[in-house]
Amino acid sequence: MNARRLENRVAIVTGAGQGVGEGIARRLAQEGVTVVVAARRAETGEPVVESIRALGGRAICVVTDVSVSESVDACVASTVQQFGRLDIMVHNAFMGGIPHKLEKAQIDKHWTSMSRTGVWASLFCARAAMPHLVQSSARANGEGGGRLILITSPSGVEGSANIPLYSPAKAAQRAIAKSLAREWGEFGITVNCIGPVASSPALLTAFDRNPALQQAIEARTPLGRVGDITDDIGSVALFLASDDSSFVTGQTIICDGGSFLGL
Amino acid sequence: MSVTVSGGGTLAQVLRDGVHSDTRSAVIVVDLDGEKSISSLAELTDAHIDEIYEQPMQRVIAALQEAHTTNCERIVVVVPTTGMSGGACYAPQAALAESARILVKSAARQWGASGITVNAVAVEPHWFSIDSNISGPVAIAPRSLSNEVSPVGVVTWLCSEAARDVTGQTIVCDGGLWM
Repeated sequence: MNARRLENRVAIVTGAGQGVGEGIARRLAQEGVTVVVAARRAETGEPVVESIRALGGRAICVVTDVSVSESVDACVASTVQQFGRLDIMVHNAFMGGIPHKLEKAQIDKHWTSMSRTGVWASLFCARAAMPHLVQSSARANGEGGGRLILITSPSGVEGSANIPLYSPAKAAQRAIAKSLAREWGEFGITVNCIGPVASSPALLTAFDRNPALQQAIEARTPLGRVGDITDDIGSVALFLASDDSSFVTGQTIICDGGSFLGL
Repeated sequence: MSVTVSGGGTLAQVLRDGVHSDTRSAVIVVDLDGEKSISSLAELTDAHIDEIYEQPMQRVIAALQEAHTTNCERIVVVVPTTGMSGGACYAPQAALAESARILVKSAARQWGASGITVNAVAVEPHWFSIDSNISGPVAIAPRSLSNEVSPVGVVTWLCSEAARDVTGQTIVCDGGLWM
């Protein structure tokens, strides 16, 4: 790949204070993208910004609660005000996902946060970013252009026995991506999903608590490991953000080392 | 034995009139309203998301829980194929359809040990008033079968004892449009 080939692009990555979002932010920054680290807390977002800057990248932190539409609108407005454009919107932030029995699940306890940060926030991010993504495509004049990337999960395809309400929240994102891919094709905007299994803080914590889980996941994965948030997942996001994926839209790339092969 | 059909509209009534079973069954027709298309995402309000996605999805969750509470052995959730295909100007509806369809898999995984089967039937979007002239085509190729399609037979079978080994599946009943 050419070094820093997305030099003039501007991206927002939600949930970039840690985990997959952090990895995507770092990978985009490596290629010259100016990255807005949209994190719920400055305590997590600012260190990511500092580390990107330390490597020569450009980044700022904008504290954002993706479950609140006004907060997402403000993040986008702040981005455009500071950098004059927005080319890539990555919605990764997600909150929730405690194990539960479906028959006893409570809406407030087990569903609302996942619905708000997964489904509602995907629509908030899309709605706020859209006019700027249209402009990005117009500037690109047929090459590259606006990009919306939603981070879903293999569980959004195959369901989940442990966290049954996690799956529908993630499934909705794939349907939103397909719908907006149809709707925004005329503007040259692409909309895609990534379904990662990666060494996020949540997964690493789970491994610490249950080492057998790590062995089980690695054993069922053809590539024999979980993904790295930057080199594995971030690189797929980079592909979807780049001109190389100009003719790819409405798709989900499952990035899990081949564990899920059901698409 | 009895079949309980929840949900409104023509499709729910057709299923109420036509589906019979030798098991205790619940058929959940997702409360998806295609007449509320959003011509541009810029027009989508928080109230729209709540009305089109959130409240109907919470009703699907409640209906599944009710089916479990009432000891149903067979549960069938009916959605349009729009969740699988996506639909321009129908993003919240597509999200609802796909959420419900994948929740079926989660339920099938959790409740399978109790002998409960949970499946989805995906039908043509027109049953939910989704306009394919707006949403875009469900598939590239034309529909294979030319006859009118009714989901009654498929739903009846999924509610029967004969379907006891089938769970977590989506049967597309649209005359061979989506393949």
